[in-house]
Amino acid sequence: MIVTSKILARIVAIVIVAVLLQLSFFSRVTLFHVSPDILPALVVCFGLLGGTMTGVVTGFSVGFLVDCLLIETLGAGSLVLLTTGYLAGMFRERFEIHSALVPPLLCMGLTLFAELGFGAVQVMLGIDASISSMVIGDMLLKSIYAFFLGWPIYLGMRRALRPALVEESSLRRREQSAAIGA
Amino acid sequence: MYRKQVRRRRAVLALLVIGSFVLLTLTYGQKSNGLQRGVSTIFSPLQSVSDRALKPARDLVNWFDKTFDARGENGKLKTELAKVRKEAVDSDVAIQENDQLRKLLSLDRNVVPSGYDPVTTRVTARSPTVWQSSVTVGAGSGDGVSVDDPVISGYGLVGQVSAVTPDSAQVTLLTDHESAVAAKVVPDGTQGVVKPEIGNPEQLILDFIDSSKRVHRGEPVVTSGWRSEGRSSLYPPNLPVGEITRASILDQEAIQQVELRPFADLANLDLLQVLTGGSRG
Repeated sequence: MIVTSKILARIVAIVIVAVLLQLSFFSRVTLFHVSPDILPALVVCFGLLGGTMTGVVTGFSVGFLVDCLLIETLGAGSLVLLTTGYLAGMFRERFEIHSALVPPLLCMGLTLFAELGFGAVQVMLGIDASISSMVIGDMLLKSIYAFFLGWPIYLGMRRALRPALVEESSLRRREQSAAIGA
Repeated sequence: MYRKQVRRRRAVLALLVIGSFVLLTLTYGQKSNGLQRGVSTIFSPLQSVSDRALKPARDLVNWFDKTFDARGENGKLKTELAKVRKEAVDSDVAIQENDQLRKLLSLDRNVVPSGYDPVTTRVTARSPTVWQSSVTVGAGSGDGVSVDDPVISGYGLVGQVSAVTPDSAQVTLLTDHESAVAAKVVPDGTQGVVKPEIGNPEQLILDFIDSSKRVHRGEPVVTSGWRSEGRSSLYPPNLPVGEITRASILDQEAIQQVELRPFADLANLDLLQVLTGGSRG
């Protein structure tokens, strides 16, 4: 990803809008008693479009902003989401995205990973209460929601960040030169 | 060139991981810090606007969810209706008696305990993970809200204020793993501590109850608001908490626990009241 000041402003705007949307909308609606979590899917899409560096930095920023706005212990969300962004970025750098199903499937898998990560961090910080088996259902349903929400998020972000994407710009250049040649 | 890039990438990753651990270490156990207060102050107006703008969309999605639930509950409710009708007649009689007694004793009819100044506020944000059960409300220290203030909804106790900024406050809900409320069962007065079961917002546990006293299904649970040797409960007495849903004799004797359902709908909170001022316990 070629990050210019204009692209950086777009990334910042996407992060802020997504965090506000999550805290004011998605966290407060329930479908089958579970609220969707779009933030891991958002970080996965950043990783898939921009690689490990973009995934890690946006993951950290999203987690930090959420922890600040919810007045929670800082660092917990950042740690989980930067790892999620790193894994998505690694996937992008090592494998081809050859199917339209890859982004939503990765969103699903890595949302499950992030939810397990949030749980692990909380256990690490100490939990003085019993844990319901419904937690497992909550995590699985959140992952399924991420599958359905992952694709529109990926498409929307690819559109918003198109000028910065390496594949997209080389493809456009190839199309332009073919048109000139014709 | 490629090696340099890889090295830079690794350095950023290491820096951010270390940064996360440093933040965790520095801010763990703190109520709020200057950084959070600053960010929260900047984003409060945005959160407020997005909260109001998204309310219709939220209500629509929640309507679908509740309609789906309601269809399943319809049959169950029909059978309960007959039972409730009979109870309603009994309740009318009890209300009449209660009114007379209240007049006699000149009791305040308000749910809000005397000495408390309720600040009505709206929920502006909610934690996205099941592991942290907290909401952010649009009233802060500027409105007189302070840490440990009890928070109620129209149905009962919701939680307590755990951190405050000038324009917002974090409310730790009864379903958060850090929550513990001293409570008693009405009418027998069996004491216990209300604790959550993580991941299940519709169920709480009344723990450490006296195994020699019997608690029954359907009995209400209220805050006990104790005061002893200069120390006191964070909550005033008699705030409604929930209703006992499962109280097997085995559980009461073996693990001294019963299950209850909170009166407040902790999964769908909108308008809340922070009880400011007042004396604890």
